Amino acid sequence: MLDFYRRLYHALSRSSRDEETARPDGGVVSDGSVTDSSASEPGPIERLSSAADRRFGSDFIESTPFWLPPFLLMALFVYGAIIWNLLISLTDYQGFANAPDYSNLDLDNYARALADPGFIDAAVNTFILLIAFTVATLAVGLVLAILVDRGIRFENTFRTIYLLPMSLSFVVTAQFWLWMYNFNNGIVNRIIGVFGVGPVSWLGNQGIVLWAIIFALMWQFSGYAMVVYLAGLRAIPTEHYEAAQVDGASTLKMYWRVIIPQLKGATISAAVVLMVFAMKAFDFLYSLVGGYRPPNGADILATKMVREAYANLNWAYGAAIAIVLFAMALSVIGPYLVYEYRRNNL
Amino acid sequence: MATLELDSVTKVFQDGNDEIRAVDGVSASIDDGEFIVVVGPSGCGKSTMLRMIAGLETITSGTISLADRVINDVKSQDRDIAMVFQSYALYPHMSVRENMSFGLEESTDLPDDQIQEMVSETGELLGISNLLDRKPTELSGGQQQRVALGRAIVRDPEVFLMDEPLSNLDAKLRAQMRTELQRLQDDLGVTTVYVTHDQTEAMTMGDRIVILNDGKLQQISTPLECYHEPANQFVADFLGEPSMNFFDVTLENGVLRGEAFEYPIDAETEADLGGTTDLVFGIRPEDIELTERANDAHDFETVVDVVEPMGDENTVYLQFAAAAGEDDDTLVATTDGFTRVTEDDTVVARIPEEAIHLFDRATGEALHNRSLEDDIEAVELD
Amino acid sequence: MSDRKIRTDGSGATVTGRLRRNVEGLTLEDVGLYVALLLMAGFYLVPIESGLVTSIKTGTAILETAPFAPPGSAGFTLEKWQTAIDALVRGMGNSLLYAVPATVISAAVGSLTAYGLTIPDWKVSYKAPLLAIIISGIFIPYQAVLVPLTQFWSQWVQLVQHLSFVWALGVPDDYAGIIELVITHVAYGIPICTLLFRTYYKNLSEEMIESARLDGASLRRVYQRIVLPLSGPMFAVVLIYQFTQIWNDLLFTLVLVSTESSPAAPVVLILAGLGTSMEGQDFALRMAGAFFAALPTLAVYIFFGDEFAEGVAA
Repeated sequence: MLDFYRRLYHALSRSSRDEETARPDGGVVSDGSVTDSSASEPGPIERLSSAADRRFGSDFIESTPFWLPPFLLMALFVYGAIIWNLLISLTDYQGFANAPDYSNLDLDNYARALADPGFIDAAVNTFILLIAFTVATLAVGLVLAILVDRGIRFENTFRTIYLLPMSLSFVVTAQFWLWMYNFNNGIVNRIIGVFGVGPVSWLGNQGIVLWAIIFALMWQFSGYAMVVYLAGLRAIPTEHYEAAQVDGASTLKMYWRVIIPQLKGATISAAVVLMVFAMKAFDFLYSLVGGYRPPNGADILATKMVREAYANLNWAYGAAIAIVLFAMALSVIGPYLVYEYRRNNL
Repeated sequence: MATLELDSVTKVFQDGNDEIRAVDGVSASIDDGEFIVVVGPSGCGKSTMLRMIAGLETITSGTISLADRVINDVKSQDRDIAMVFQSYALYPHMSVRENMSFGLEESTDLPDDQIQEMVSETGELLGISNLLDRKPTELSGGQQQRVALGRAIVRDPEVFLMDEPLSNLDAKLRAQMRTELQRLQDDLGVTTVYVTHDQTEAMTMGDRIVILNDGKLQQISTPLECYHEPANQFVADFLGEPSMNFFDVTLENGVLRGEAFEYPIDAETEADLGGTTDLVFGIRPEDIELTERANDAHDFETVVDVVEPMGDENTVYLQFAAAAGEDDDTLVATTDGFTRVTEDDTVVARIPEEAIHLFDRATGEALHNRSLEDDIEAVELD
Repeated sequence: MSDRKIRTDGSGATVTGRLRRNVEGLTLEDVGLYVALLLMAGFYLVPIESGLVTSIKTGTAILETAPFAPPGSAGFTLEKWQTAIDALVRGMGNSLLYAVPATVISAAVGSLTAYGLTIPDWKVSYKAPLLAIIISGIFIPYQAVLVPLTQFWSQWVQLVQHLSFVWALGVPDDYAGIIELVITHVAYGIPICTLLFRTYYKNLSEEMIESARLDGASLRRVYQRIVLPLSGPMFAVVLIYQFTQIWNDLLFTLVLVSTESSPAAPVVLILAGLGTSMEGQDFALRMAGAFFAALPTLAVYIFFGDEFAEGVAA
């Protein structure tokens, strides 16, 4: 009897192994051996686990306690919440009601957004912030990295200073820049005053405020770009510098033609992270005014979403704005993750 | 300790849509206490085979059994196998003592004091008692090697697996460890599978050697059998330094005709060929005698091209005088270090018929090997 | 092996740097280089320095001295610091109350997750998508989960009611928000912590792990006895990074604790409204508050700058 089951077990395990090699895409196909061998000797759990191990790899079952619970927790809070949020955005949930009414779903909130000039402004501002902030920060970060990488003395000190703002909270840096941009006593107006310009109302002027904020954010995050570029520069072999020198290229030309093209990977990963930071600039704008309403001309989707939901209690409308913001994030990170996956970096 | 049985073991790796057969239907039976050396060029599948025995790679088809129990689906941690890695793979945060006791703590229920005693004994056996409280980073390469060995020995496993354990040592230490390992294995009597690409290790250490190429088993025999009676041209070529001379020849009327020479063979040799006429002629460099004058049909006039003095012997590159300029005309011979030959000398190379090998040109299979009656014993006496 | 680090600083690079300089040998360029470096250092330090000197000025000194100049002895006061500390010290305590546990838990969980998805032997074709799903979580704008998060904590879990026995002991029920913050930060911290540990575990010697498995250790024991003891340097990086992130975050505290007047209000929440309540803005108070609130992260940054740089660069 036992012998029969042993043979059956081997027959089944061999067939499933053949299947494994025959299917190069590794797709999940229901495994015949699980159902067919329901009468065999080992208990159903062992059989299931050995079948799973054979499909996924020998340590699969043993490894699940390590990653599955955190995975589920994270999936619930991130992906579960996004799907829930999408659902809420289709309701007309607002005010002090305890829960949304899911019985009547429509796209009204998205239509409302398109008709809301405040939303369009916020979307445009978000886009400008995203692009201008990322480009400016990368440029400054690259210059810093090149300066620091030129074999300077006190390298660590300079690096520490440049990265210092990154360690501070948006709430804290907002206070600093509020003071920097102060109309009467701010350093920025003092400096341009030396050249006979200004004073300018940096945070009060609708046409300027967004750029003032981009500048402040650039101050905070260019140190991050520097760190990423520095790692990229250090990965370039010294021979490349030497070869360029021997070829008679000027320093500027060497960087432009030889070094910077090799920093593509660093640029892409830094850009993605910076764009994500930019989308989270809510904290900074909130702290600037101490409330949900950013200075006129500086409203972005992140602030508008929170304001609609938590100040105006337009929960469903806020959720719809959040979905738009999420879609923007996805359009940036989706291609990035595919790129990293292709390069086997995950 | 137990016999280890491999039955048409195959490993297929998927690379995109390509299948790579790293190990292809290898069968072997390894006796209790035997020292088996697996050898082959890099990429021949020898490490994959070892890792399958260890349970670190799944087996695509075929079975591996240990003491008559199929262990295909047994996890590595339950196989009672110890392995010595090329990189030694010591645990960097543990002292030598902790490195060596780790396996016993994890795989047995022995009480601590007994484990410590076993560790101390093994440390003495290997002469590393004074290192037991050091961290691996404080040890030299040779000492780390010993610790890795000790970690395997102290567990007293059913099987030792060794994956090129000596390749990170310098030449002198390697030679010393080679003999020491053999002595240890002899004393302990644990079945051992030893993977190497170094043919000196293969020839000197193993009771038997397993020769792999392209994932396929070429031959499994004692070292001397593999050397003198290779199963095919690959084995003949792989073992021996400098390697065997090969010439394409065709059998016509009892004479082997090549581009550079003609070599008559007697009826007994011809009978071995079973009618195959497209052949490869093989002769080991050390079997070629250099003489002054051509006496019979197996003596060939040659011109010395290059002489490489090695001290104890010379490697001499000869060209058949009759066929200078042909592609296939170089003959490598070894002579003792005192034979004086210089470039451009004309010498006679004698190729004795009892030392020649003949292979089927199409399959590479050995059809006729050198006769051993008298000289294998002479070699064994060495 | 245990002190293997991802190289972000340049002890090895100074050689190449010198080499590069030797090739050029231009002192004029060097001068320009250091001038540029100092100017940039000024750019990064001025807002901070200006804030620091402002925080110790009296109202009149603020109007009369340059914003970056230190106050004269007449214009010096610690009064604003006193006020700021009084206002924020409760918030500091509250922040520590969730930031410390959330940091420790998310680092531990990240280590376990990264281990489970890196070291054990199972098929990459299944592991890779799981990792991609987890790592994508780093880039999610939190706005996309806020409304459901509020729903989840206020309508579904309702810690305020479940923990009534705690409130009966005299703890204000606002502290339910602290527990919510811990769990929320852990959940959203898993992706980055997993990524950081994964880059580290990928570089552990494969043969060492295999050797431990052959020595008879189960996956759990391999983690406990081999991988965890070797994770020290990465734990430093992750703990520092995560602490800074959690301490500095405003959005979740705003949504989960909601008001700065709450007894459970974290320091960032109080700081955001500090100095605006009176007529006009009290900049000295704001600056003092900003520095006080930034003290823990500044201390961490100054003492563990390298680990911080490593964390952000990953």
